[in-house]
Amino acid sequence: MKRPGPLLTLLAGLVLGLFMLTLNATSGTKTVSSSTQREASPSASPSASPKKSANTPPTPTVTPSPTPSKTPVANASYAGRTADDTASVAVTVRDGKAVAYFCDGRYKEAWLRGPVKDDGSMKLTAPNGAELDGKIEQGKKIRGTVKDEGRKYAFTADKAVKPSGLWRATAKVRGAKIDGGWIVLPNGRQTGIVTRDGKAASAPRIDPETGAVTVDGQQLTAQPVTP
Amino acid sequence: MTADPNAATQSFPPRPPARPHDSPARYLVPALVAAAVAVGLGVYGKVHDPAGTAFNLAGFSSTGAVKSWLATTAFFFALVQVVSAFMVYGRLPGPSWSATLHRWSGRIAFLVAVPVAVHCLYAFGYQTYSTRVMWHSLLGCAFFGAFSAKMLLLRSERLPGWLLPLVGGLVFTALTLLWLTSALWFFRTVGVTT
Repeated sequence: MKRPGPLLTLLAGLVLGLFMLTLNATSGTKTVSSSTQREASPSASPSASPKKSANTPPTPTVTPSPTPSKTPVANASYAGRTADDTASVAVTVRDGKAVAYFCDGRYKEAWLRGPVKDDGSMKLTAPNGAELDGKIEQGKKIRGTVKDEGRKYAFTADKAVKPSGLWRATAKVRGAKIDGGWIVLPNGRQTGIVTRDGKAASAPRIDPETGAVTVDGQQLTAQPVTP
Repeated sequence: MTADPNAATQSFPPRPPARPHDSPARYLVPALVAAAVAVGLGVYGKVHDPAGTAFNLAGFSSTGAVKSWLATTAFFFALVQVVSAFMVYGRLPGPSWSATLHRWSGRIAFLVAVPVAVHCLYAFGYQTYSTRVMWHSLLGCAFFGAFSAKMLLLRSERLPGWLLPLVGGLVFTALTLLWLTSALWFFRTVGVTT
């Protein structure tokens, strides 16, 4: 007589796996649509609501608008972690351009810049060769990858409102050039690197309300970054 | 495949000792299924475009933490597996329900590992950019292949006594290495967070 137990175990695993896979494959659109509805009222963004701009595909009749306020991609900031949870990624979109910061809080960082296409996709590059490929989904989050030093990091960055987002402070402290970058996640978590004359190190926390931070005894003020 | 007459099968009551006339399908089917599962997972991981983070559980700070704790749970039950297997085979004193313990701890370990694997395959895919990641990808596919083989072999009776312990040992070794290359790494680099 054959025992059904082991086969049932295998089938249960298969069913569970397929169930989670479909959950993953469908959850992207599901959560986005439900949360954009939720977000539509409180966000009330000035010109283009994120829902509208992202849901309507760029029609071919639209002429390239000269005024930046009419750009099809809404201005917003996004912040999140890489899928392997080793680094943070933040992107700020303004008037069809984007600046992004990729930072592991210890020694890896990259400032990436580039244009945002009408469909919300972007390809940003950094002077050090890092690349970010991403797409704004429903004006709610950016999903994409960062390629840095030969490694590829998948990431998801949710829409972030101040004080979360992207901060930068540059100054000269006792002759040393200080360049600090911070990513503040919506849950308050911070990832930052301070570079002193090209040498990267973990950054002290900034005050997310004011951007105040003390680096090597010097009081600095970090500013939200715009492209 | 010759059967050792002194194999541990004799001390395993529900299964009669191996007989000389074995149909090859009994070994071939599990082996082929194992290969298909392992290769299939690897191909999916390679072909599917990594999607980034997929799901998260309430109360955890990140999917990395969720996966690490699920994997640690699976590893704990895998340890129970080893101990209960020795009990079943009479190498360790154990209660009468040690076979049930073995079955259910195995089921739990497997079912807990499935969401972790789904996330790995869906979010990261099969990657080879570092030694740790390469081994993790390879072993992850091999683990589910070996586990499928173990489950299918359990359905056959009259197996050589060394076969199940061997395959079970492979499954356990794969899971241990998977845990070392992922959850332990996560706890060491990111910290023991929930």
